[in-house]
Amino acid sequence: MGTQHSGSEENGFVEVLGLRDEIGEIQASIADYEIGKKLNIAIVAGTLAGKTTLLGEIEKINLSRATGITFSEIVRDRKEISLPDDAKRIALFDNCHYLYMRKPGGFDIFYEFLDMISSQERLFITTWNLYSWRYLNEAFGLERYFPVQIFIPAFEKENLRLFIFKRYGKAEIRFYNGKESEEEPLIYIVKYPLEFSSLGRKILLTIPKINTPYLKSRLLNKKETQTAEDRVFEKIYQESKGNPGIAWKIWELGLDYPRIQPEDVGQFSFDIELEYEEAFVLSLILSYQALEKAEIAEMIGSAFRTDEIIFRLLNQELIFKDEVGSFRVRPEALHSVVAYMEKLRLVW
Amino acid sequence: MANGDTSAQQFLETIRSIDTQTLITMFLILSIAYVLGRVITILLSKLSEKMNQSGRVKVKLIIPVVKFVIYIVAFYYIFRQIFIIFGPELFLLTGLLGAAIGFGVKDLFADFVGGIVITFEKPYQIGDKIALGNYYGEVTDIGLRATKLVTPDDNTVTAPNSLIFNESVASGNYGASEMMVVIDLYIAGESDVEPAMRILREAVVSSKYVYISKKRPVTLLHKALPFYTRLRAKAYVNDLRDEFKFESDVHTRTWIEFQKNGIRPPQLHILNIPPIEENIDSNATTRRNSS
Repeated sequence: MGTQHSGSEENGFVEVLGLRDEIGEIQASIADYEIGKKLNIAIVAGTLAGKTTLLGEIEKINLSRATGITFSEIVRDRKEISLPDDAKRIALFDNCHYLYMRKPGGFDIFYEFLDMISSQERLFITTWNLYSWRYLNEAFGLERYFPVQIFIPAFEKENLRLFIFKRYGKAEIRFYNGKESEEEPLIYIVKYPLEFSSLGRKILLTIPKINTPYLKSRLLNKKETQTAEDRVFEKIYQESKGNPGIAWKIWELGLDYPRIQPEDVGQFSFDIELEYEEAFVLSLILSYQALEKAEIAEMIGSAFRTDEIIFRLLNQELIFKDEVGSFRVRPEALHSVVAYMEKLRLVW
Repeated sequence: MANGDTSAQQFLETIRSIDTQTLITMFLILSIAYVLGRVITILLSKLSEKMNQSGRVKVKLIIPVVKFVIYIVAFYYIFRQIFIIFGPELFLLTGLLGAAIGFGVKDLFADFVGGIVITFEKPYQIGDKIALGNYYGEVTDIGLRATKLVTPDDNTVTAPNSLIFNESVASGNYGASEMMVVIDLYIAGESDVEPAMRILREAVVSSKYVYISKKRPVTLLHKALPFYTRLRAKAYVNDLRDEFKFESDVHTRTWIEFQKNGIRPPQLHILNIPPIEENIDSNATTRRNSS
């Protein structure tokens, strides 16, 4: 059994774990702006990777000179993007992938937004979903409007640990060693998750792994053993690939509060087989992060087909309906879905 | 004269000396080669369908080469059998073969050579959309003698491989999984072109079938003609098998939006006038997209 090491006093720091370089780069651009060099910034990341958190941190740091606007659904009214006259000099727009609707006649707000950011004196700092960004960039050359692009990197293992621990008090979570670790084997078998976009699948590869702490303790007489906590976070890190949102979901699924053991940390692989239109809808949900049924229906041009497709995607446990009625990709299915979408080249 | 008679008699004697066992062996070798070629083709085709588009193309690229190697090995064993039987009479047989090729099976031989050229020079590959002679379709098989195409109307055309020596081959994708599709729309001459172009562009880039990249951009062209305006979109379909679905999808969604914006098609009586200078150009497009 083990207990967690960090406490909630680190909250201020852990909010932006591993993003110090990115914050530094954004602050440098803001400093340039103050001396007359305006370079709009795009913060780009996949679903649940932490772009809103990063923008929130930028807003906190620049509270006196920044105005923030967050979009939570597809923008239909141009008033939603217009800034009041008394708006501050730095404009922060979160979830800019909601500025277009993928259909003929669905890009008017997007054009207006591009016109606004190129014609105004303000500095614009925006966040975009990775797949929407790539799509809009290929279709409309979006990167020309945002000379500074920040791609949020994956979290490191230690940062994921701190990210999860910040939500609990000291010694609140108890880690137990399961059967796997009892015998302290020199070599043990792990299932390593790998995404093959050429096959469109996430595969759990069974590989032997050397128990290095055990080996060190035996050979060098050093007392170093891999704790249950280490094993839990190693599995979470492998499964989430450093995505904090996925890591949190996997943690939640494995936690039997306040206990968790390595064997409880799930490994997920989805064997996805979809018709082309179903896959297209899934790619839309992936690119927008959350979509309402009406929005999907508008984009594919059929409410009847939308019901069928959503039914199929829900049945395959690839998406879920959130508390406000929007459909999102299940965090634990995210890597499988991305691999499948890349296979079909529905996301670029 | 007597010498010639002796040679012919010797040759006939040798032919008679071929026993049933040898014939069965030759037949078995050919059958095994055929079955093996078919099995490998089916397995590789199934494997390729499980892969992404570029993987699919790469796997299908291997199929004709594998088949060719199988047949080469098979023929090697058959000729070895023949050589064992005929020995010094092989030269005579070669002459006989030459005469046969010259008079009877020269087309078959030309097809075979064509198959070798297609396998190694790769003017097209399995999975390509090509126009060969009068036919347009997706290449589904490249054999030693003929290439099989499936036309847009789901007809299977077996085109002899020797066609590549006489006809030019146009490959729409040349090994890539995406392919350019040219989509023409005609609107009334008095319609506002600017919103029409914008709508067409949005219909193309928002289509579920489109593929866009720096090397595969969407291009829009506009041509004002005396009685109507032609809008042309050149864009890449993500999977060449969806060529016509892509075209139809863009047409449907563009016209829905055109109607909302008051953009009208040309008047019917104007469409009846054949535009002479356009014929050549539009024929080329039609052949590529719908023949």
